[in-house]
Formats: sequence, C-alpha cells, structure tokens
Amino acid sequence: MNGFTAFLRKELLEHVRNYKVLILLSVSAIFGMMSPLTAKMMPDILANVKVEGMVLKVPEPTFIDAFVQFFNNFSQMGMAILLLVFGGLLSQDLAKGTLIIPLSKGLSRYTVILAKYAAALILWTLSYVLAITIHYGYTLYLFKPISVGHLFFSLFCLWLFGAFLLAVLLMASVITRGTYGGLFVTAAGLGILLICQTIFRMDTFNPLKLVSENVALLTGKAEFDQLLNIAWITGALILAALILAMAVFKKKSI
Amino acid sequence: MTHISDYLPFLIPIIALELILALSALIHILRHRSFRFGNMFIWIIIVLFFQIIGPIIYFTIGRGEDE
Repeated sequence: MNGFTAFLRKELLEHVRNYKVLILLSVSAIFGMMSPLTAKMMPDILANVKVEGMVLKVPEPTFIDAFVQFFNNFSQMGMAILLLVFGGLLSQDLAKGTLIIPLSKGLSRYTVILAKYAAALILWTLSYVLAITIHYGYTLYLFKPISVGHLFFSLFCLWLFGAFLLAVLLMASVITRGTYGGLFVTAAGLGILLICQTIFRMDTFNPLKLVSENVALLTGKAEFDQLLNIAWITGALILAALILAMAVFKKKSI
Repeated sequence: MTHISDYLPFLIPIIALELILALSALIHILRHRSFRFGNMFIWIIIVLFFQIIGPIIYFTIGRGEDE
C-alpha cells in the first residue's frame, strides 16, 4: 500500500494548503464554544427582546439544551460547510487534469478514490472530535451534568452522517462532470431524502434520521434499536457508494 | 439575571477565531487578487461583514487559482 500512503499524504498536505484544515478546525471550535453559550444565554437574550403584553416564560437551560444547540448547529450549518469545503474533492482534480500524471505513473485508480475518502474522513473526524471536546468542556463548566442515555451513540450518529455525506459526494463527483456537479447531485440527493422523510414517512431506513433524532436519543424518546439499524444501513450505503465510485472511476476517461 | 458581559471570557475566544478567519481571508484577497467571479471590493465586504460564512465562501468558491 505504498501508493496509498503517498497519495494520502499528498491529499492531506493539499487540504492544509487549500485552507480546508483552517476552515474546518476553526468552525468546529467556534461551534463547540458557541453551542453551550447560546443555550446558557438564551433566557437573557429572550429577556432583552421584550414584546408588549407578552410574558415569556423561559425554563432554566439545562445540560440537554446545550446538546440541542450543538446538534442544531452541526446538523445544519456544519453539514453545509462540510459539503462546501469538500465540494471540489475530486472534480477539481479532474477538471484541472492533475490526476493524469500520477495515474500514468502506475497509481491505481482504486487507490485514488480510497485515499481521497480517507483524507476527507480524517479531517472530518479531527474537526468533529475537536468540537466535541471543546463543547463538552464548556458544557461541564456551565451546566450541572446529568446522566443522559446513549450520549456516545448520539454523537456517533452525527459523525456517521458526515461520513455518509462525504461518500455520496465522492461518488457523485465521479459520476458527474464539471467542477460543481458532485455538489449539486449530493444536494439533490439530500433533498430527496428529506422528501422521503417528511412526505412519505420512510423512517425505517432513512439516514437523515441519524441527524434528526440525536436529542431524542439523549432524552430516551427515540428507539435505540431502530437507529442502530439505520446506522448499519448507512454503513452499508457508505461502502456501496465507495464501491460504485471505484467501479465508475475505473471506466472513466480522464 | 446575569449580564451579557459576564460571559465575556467565553465570548472572547469565539470572536478571536472569527477574526482569525476573516483576517486570513482578507490577507489572501490582498495578496492574490484573482477570483473566480466578483472583484476585490465585493470579496472584502463579504469576508469582513459576514462572520464565519463569509471567509468560508471566499476560500471554497471565490478564491482564484494560486498560480
């Protein structure tokens, strides 16, 4: 696997030079710090917005509220930023033709796909772990900790969804042409998943559940078994997306 | 009831990180001056006035090639 490590190192170096590392790490740190603070300050913020003839009763924010903010931030803004940052993951290389030389020197096409996915996954994992660490530290300091169920699994679900998005993005960039084709296809795919969830109520296997049920998991309102199934399905989908990407990329003319 | 200023020690690192993002984008704009679309003034305004999301959009889709 010498080609793999070399290409992986080149990818990671490129992420540093393209400011991807800077953006992801700083945004994660900001989210990690902001979420518990927003939860803590919410009563004060609402108290400043006084509406005539209306009494706002805001319950004292709790440990759980900090996680509500965290999951809100990450499942919406976080995922959008992840897509934006990795939008040109493969398509930019294809458009510029930078892959021609390493491929003609004997680098396997499978290696390209796997190394690109691994590099993106490493970066996403790093920034997510950073966000969780900061968030957890702040939350412990600002709130009284209570025991919540399935905290680790709940956080893992969000990570898995990020990994799923990256795999779909990679597959979509292989299939489409142009610099932003993959981004559009992934956004369209997310839209379809959203429609499946809201209109057709296809809950039993929809990966979107991984990012919509996190808080319910913490409070014990969600079914753990169903989410575990979805997590397995999502894992299988990630594998399928990667295999499909490798199969199509082998046939693709560069 | 607590005051917003009580949270200042917590807010400073957030503001600092946002400033780092905005400043690194600003420096990049001033040193490269090549964009995929738009001109320098539009990007400076976007980067400085849209916190967090402005610099991200610049680095991901606004930035020109490095050559």
